Amino acid sequence: MFSNGIFFAIVGASIATALAGFGSAKGVGGAAQASMGVLSEDSSKFGKMLVLTLLPGTQGLYGFIVGFLILVNCGVLGGSIPTVMQGLAYLGASLAIGIGGMVSGFAQGKASVSGIAMSAKDDRNFSKAMVSVTLVEIYALLAFIVSLLVVISVPAIKI
Amino acid sequence: MKTVRIVALREDRKRLLEHLQDSALIQIRKRDKSAEGFSKVDMTSQMQLFERNVTLTEQSLKILDDYSREKKGLLDSFKGRREIDPDEIGVIASNAAEVMTVCNKIVSLSKKLSDNAAETVRIKTSLAQLEAWKNLDIPINTQDTKSTAIFIGSFPEAYTDESLSARIAEENPKLEFELEIEYSENKMTCAVIFTPISQKTMAEDALRSLGFSRPMTPTSHTPKVKSERLNKRLEEIDRQNREYIETIIKLADRREDIKVTQDYFRIRADKYNVINELDQTRHVFVIYGFIPEEDSEKLKNLCERVATCYVEFSDADDDAPVKLKNNRFAKPAQNILTMYAAPSRADIDPTPLLAFFFYFFFGMMFSDAGYGLLMVIAIGIVLKLFKPDDQMRNNLKLFQYCGISTFFWGLVFGSIFGDAPVALYNYFTGAKLTMAEILPWPTIDPQKDALMLMIISIAFGLVHILVGMGCKFYICFKQKDYKAAFFDTGLWMMMLLGFAVLGVGMATSQIILYIGAGIAIACAVGLVLTQGRDKKGFGKVIGGLASLYDVTSYISDLLSYSRLLALGLTTGVMAQVFNMLSTMFGRSVVGFIFMVLIMVVGHAINIGLNALGSYVHTMRLQYVEMFSKFYEGGGKEFEPFSLKSKYIKIQEDK
Repeated sequence: MFSNGIFFAIVGASIATALAGFGSAKGVGGAAQASMGVLSEDSSKFGKMLVLTLLPGTQGLYGFIVGFLILVNCGVLGGSIPTVMQGLAYLGASLAIGIGGMVSGFAQGKASVSGIAMSAKDDRNFSKAMVSVTLVEIYALLAFIVSLLVVISVPAIKI
Repeated sequence: MKTVRIVALREDRKRLLEHLQDSALIQIRKRDKSAEGFSKVDMTSQMQLFERNVTLTEQSLKILDDYSREKKGLLDSFKGRREIDPDEIGVIASNAAEVMTVCNKIVSLSKKLSDNAAETVRIKTSLAQLEAWKNLDIPINTQDTKSTAIFIGSFPEAYTDESLSARIAEENPKLEFELEIEYSENKMTCAVIFTPISQKTMAEDALRSLGFSRPMTPTSHTPKVKSERLNKRLEEIDRQNREYIETIIKLADRREDIKVTQDYFRIRADKYNVINELDQTRHVFVIYGFIPEEDSEKLKNLCERVATCYVEFSDADDDAPVKLKNNRFAKPAQNILTMYAAPSRADIDPTPLLAFFFYFFFGMMFSDAGYGLLMVIAIGIVLKLFKPDDQMRNNLKLFQYCGISTFFWGLVFGSIFGDAPVALYNYFTGAKLTMAEILPWPTIDPQKDALMLMIISIAFGLVHILVGMGCKFYICFKQKDYKAAFFDTGLWMMMLLGFAVLGVGMATSQIILYIGAGIAIACAVGLVLTQGRDKKGFGKVIGGLASLYDVTSYISDLLSYSRLLALGLTTGVMAQVFNMLSTMFGRSVVGFIFMVLIMVVGHAINIGLNALGSYVHTMRLQYVEMFSKFYEGGGKEFEPFSLKSKYIKIQEDK
């Protein structure tokens, strides 16, 4: 039915970008709501609130990069047309950052909201809040690296 | 850090304190009780007066800002405090009273404005209520005549003449009455009802059961006259408001004076706060304080120059504050350290190490020669033009050094605004060059060599962690806790090195692999034997074995450094994406405009997002991975008694 794997590769790119972006969008959205509440009281905290709000935004970037690299490798923006199995490999790789990014985006968003509440009370809590929120990030990173390593090595795999 | 005790004559108090405040040499030590024979002088009321003045000026500045916003440029937040000559202080002091009357005036005007606003609301409500009565040609509180009772009021229903008459008749058929409806709408009817005075109580009962109520604003004028008066008052208020606002706006050019005066009072409040802490007798007073050791000579000279006094130094105990001293290279990172915690007396000052790794890791994550260069140049210009204050200056310097490192890592990764040079070249010539082809030095492409870069990242992480543990080793060694130094820290360091050798061995030769494994196993045995040393009996073995479980935390720490690769890659790929998008519109005039637009906006977004990411994640690597190995924190920072001002900076005598 399929003579090449480009369809699967594109589904993979979409999954990586969309799911991870979904996680980040929800995370950043929640954090932005919380920080706007704080800013309505004290607008001088904008810089700090911005940092905490943007922290859950990285998952979306990771997802986008995986999606982009798939497009670069699979013949849409360059590279060669993948075989069916290679296409499935891209699809498989995208699941890591797609799901990992989405769920960690939710979790990091919640942590961000708490961090915002914490540093709204006392500015000195800011660095602690920031570090605590980045603790969540490692899981998105691990997912990203798995996806990345697979995506960049697929063209060399003969399947 | 030393403690210092200065005993001086009371007549020199003012002079001495002023000089101490100017020089910012000592931190005043608060003591709960005064020494025997001394007492404290209560200066609270003066202090409160100054603080009230500070609050008043703050209020008036805020009011001025509400009515005539101070013009501020985008870059003005970088600006340092205005420098003033020490001689100007006398002028400020003599003007202070006048400036305070200005502030009082501003605040009272603003009070009047808010009173007027409240009155406006009240009047508008009354007007709205009177609106229903505008056709009534007698006053609302018209009294009964000899023969007739008058009821003026409203019902909570909509009635017409007939339906209201019918309802009243229904309530009390015997009642004789006349009525006139003034106003009727959904859920409200305003009416005037006349009854014979003899039936007044009967009428009251009947009307009450229909929900009759008298109006809220009784007045002895007819509604028409009343509304006219109220409207006139509104106009009057409006005119007043305009006048007040105009006066306030006129006063806005006193803003600078108010700021300066605010600082003047702030400084005086600080000084009186210190006087509160002093031990005094009739003729002498004593200052207790902390002073960094190297400044003691300077302090002694200063005190002896300005006052008749006796200065005595002694060693400080554990609760003394800590002053960080660092060279130009490391100083900008001090903020990062104090954001975590100031070092306790047991700690070493890790700022130089922190600074090095901060610059290094930030550069690796941001990794773009173009962005790095842009940071260095932009910050250089800001520093030159705005002369920011120390705090801001250090922050900017931090990013400038980070920019240098970013520049070099960008060259290593072959990224100059992503692949902008080749993207532009290809756009104009139609060639298909890559960055690796045009750069004369060997580069690492994070997209192709990701695995290698990840190994490099983790290797850097290993070095970082080992340096952190090295600090722990050094601290323990200095405190002569040799067991902790060698067993708790040394063995783990050896074990990590063993793993590293083992890793190298896997890639190269069998012999090295065996050596690495040997070291790791030997260290593991050592740990099992030593880690349970504080426990008894069987606990010794369990404690030793359990400590091996810590290896998982070291593994997760090391893996955490893979973010160096991830963020580096993010910057590069995003830049590349924007370059690709910008050259997509083809070679035409419109295409060229789009290209410039997308490139500028795209790279600006990329810089914003990834500089933030790099900053946050570098910080995390320092705090979580490195500091957890050795840094205790919890110390107090040295906060000298000084001129703490917000707007002005008094030049030092030179």
